[in-house]
Amino acid sequence: MANARDIGHEGGHDREGSYGHIPVRTYWVVFSSLMVLMVLTVAAWYVEKHFVQLPEIVAVGIAMAIAIAKTALIIYFFMHVKVSSKLTQIFAVSAFVWLMILFVIVMGDYMARGWPPARGPLTQAPAPRAAAAPVSQGWRAL
Amino acid sequence: MATTTHDHVSGPALQHHYDTPGQQKEAATLGMWAFLVTEIMLFGGIFMAYMVYRWAYPEIWAAAAPHLNTPLATLNTVVLLVSSLTVALAVHAAEVGNKRQLVTLLLVTILLGATFLGIKFTEYGEKFAHCAGYASPLAWATGGERLGEAECLVPGKGFLFPVAAASAEGGAPAAAAADAAQPGMKSPHQLFFFLYFCATGLHAVHMVVGITVMSVIAGMAIRNKFSPAYFTPVEIGGLYWHLIDIIWVFLFPLFYLV
Repeated sequence: MANARDIGHEGGHDREGSYGHIPVRTYWVVFSSLMVLMVLTVAAWYVEKHFVQLPEIVAVGIAMAIAIAKTALIIYFFMHVKVSSKLTQIFAVSAFVWLMILFVIVMGDYMARGWPPARGPLTQAPAPRAAAAPVSQGWRAL
Repeated sequence: MATTTHDHVSGPALQHHYDTPGQQKEAATLGMWAFLVTEIMLFGGIFMAYMVYRWAYPEIWAAAAPHLNTPLATLNTVVLLVSSLTVALAVHAAEVGNKRQLVTLLLVTILLGATFLGIKFTEYGEKFAHCAGYASPLAWATGGERLGEAECLVPGKGFLFPVAAASAEGGAPAAAAADAAQPGMKSPHQLFFFLYFCATGLHAVHMVVGITVMSVIAGMAIRNKFSPAYFTPVEIGGLYWHLIDIIWVFLFPLFYLV
């Protein structure tokens, strides 16, 4: 399966919409990997619930790492990003760039304000609580 | 302009405003990806809310999540992953022009999608049956076995998180603290189930749309609308299906494997 992108030129109409082909065998390999990862994530959860106590952030980290691996496999092979044009690949990656902007800025803001004061997986000992906001302020006090 | 060089008959494989079938396919794929990016941002908002509240109330998550049906969700994960494979194989069948295989694989995909929704429906049904005071959806329908300890995990006025479970898993102090800080916030556990219903509900809506799209494409395949030269609807319909799968890949560990 020669990669047409390497030999062809990007702007040529003759190449557009056809940058290569993913063989059926690859789909089966990807599917098997997805199933293995699925079993892994459930097994990790089971072990951590019943046998080994892990800090929550590690447990969530393992689950998210597996989910991201599954997503990468699906996007790269099943969704044909491997054999798509550069522009399509940029579109696909951009989704996750936007997501990161959303997550990083919002969480950065919450953490910079020290909220929540006594909780969160990174906080081991409860920090002293600031003076409680008047009840009337409700969630806005945060 | 290149349009003056056109001497072909306009059709679905090459509409008059494109130079080549490849260009047309490229435009369709890119457009679909642009749409998928907006979909990812739509679910991104829910994931953002999830992140903030789990960060704030990890003990509530720990107490509430065991009340979801993990075995059923695991089964649903398998169903969706298999459906992603059948879609990928369907696109391949379209690519090589194997109509019989294409139609079969699309129908299998629709069946798997319906299975997913059926399992989801059972899961939701259990929660609603508990609110109505019955042990299971079947008991609810037939007026059978009543639920032992009262519980209602559907957000709303009737929401009632079982007290024993809350105190056993350290949820009660959190509930008491939340109530002290904000009187009227009857149960902070409601937050978890509210996010659960929002996220899985929106995902289920996408499944319904996905099944509709697959049905239309299957219909087109049966009416010989596709050829190795033109199968773009199969390709971009497949992209949508895979996206729904990806969303579930994240929903599954975040809600059922807390």
